[in-house]
Amino acid sequence: MPRPNHPLVQEFLDAWVYPVGFSGAGADFRLRMTARCLPVWNGATARAVKASVADQRTAGDAWKIERALAGYALEGPQMSIKQMATQLLSVSLAQQAEYIDLQRMRARQVWDEMKHGQLNADVLLRGGWIKREDELMEDVRANAQDNLAYFGLTSMFLHIHPLARAAQNYFVEAIAYLGITAALQTLEDPLIRHQMRSQQLEELMHFMEGKYQLDAYALTPEDQKPIEEAFDFLLKPWATKMSVAFGGREPEGSGR
Amino acid sequence: MCYVVCREIDLNAVVIAPEPRHRLEIDMTRCLYPACTACLMYCPAPGSIVETGSGRPLVPPPPEAWAEPRRWPRGAS
Repeated sequence: MPRPNHPLVQEFLDAWVYPVGFSGAGADFRLRMTARCLPVWNGATARAVKASVADQRTAGDAWKIERALAGYALEGPQMSIKQMATQLLSVSLAQQAEYIDLQRMRARQVWDEMKHGQLNADVLLRGGWIKREDELMEDVRANAQDNLAYFGLTSMFLHIHPLARAAQNYFVEAIAYLGITAALQTLEDPLIRHQMRSQQLEELMHFMEGKYQLDAYALTPEDQKPIEEAFDFLLKPWATKMSVAFGGREPEGSGR
Repeated sequence: MCYVVCREIDLNAVVIAPEPRHRLEIDMTRCLYPACTACLMYCPAPGSIVETGSGRPLVPPPPEAWAEPRRWPRGAS
């Protein structure tokens, strides 16, 4: 008998994953991929809840600074903005008319990621932990994240297929949304809540873009294959690590 | 996303207002609701689309809105 989903994951499934606007091969493919994502979505959500409870009980500001630095490294100039910029190039000139709406979504996400990086910088500025954003260039924690293999392949998605990126949008952006939702249940700090509330629905938007691309465009085995291969990669246990920004801190004493 | 979905199925019932806030509006002369509900399934903004008359929020979509007969058939061209 399958294990029940985490209550937050079940809510997410019922509200945002299972509703489907199209019938056909794309929607069927997405539901198959969803079954593969569920164990990770459940595990990441449980971990985010645990990390948030631990942070809420922790005196001092260190955990806020750690979350914001990790968020800046992940969502800011060092990763997400670069990723999305490269994704605009995955559509060849000959395919521009076919995928113009996909291009619009990706252009919009470049802006979102810029905003998310800035929100994390704002936490550090308004908290008084830095005086100017450019101080972050001196702190390696704001400029590196623990997802190097993932960063490598997402940069290479453009060489694979215009739709390969949909796997990242579907699988990883769901983790971001669930991590934020879990944190907002517990964390009371107004700076952190402001940052999270300001990006929560945009993470859901990025997930929706993946959902839509799978339902509407992944209609043939030829189109599904590169997307499934991207899922194959992202679901490798070493490929995707949940950022501290979204509650992915290693438990104390884990030895990692 | 409602604009993108509606455009993709060639109904083009979602209009982007030309004023600076670029508000999204649904052109009721083109929208086929309740026969078509495709856009509701891809909107990530809770409560942002409501049913005319009843005022019932349709995002996230209620189960009857995405029942099998209401799904837009989608195949490779």
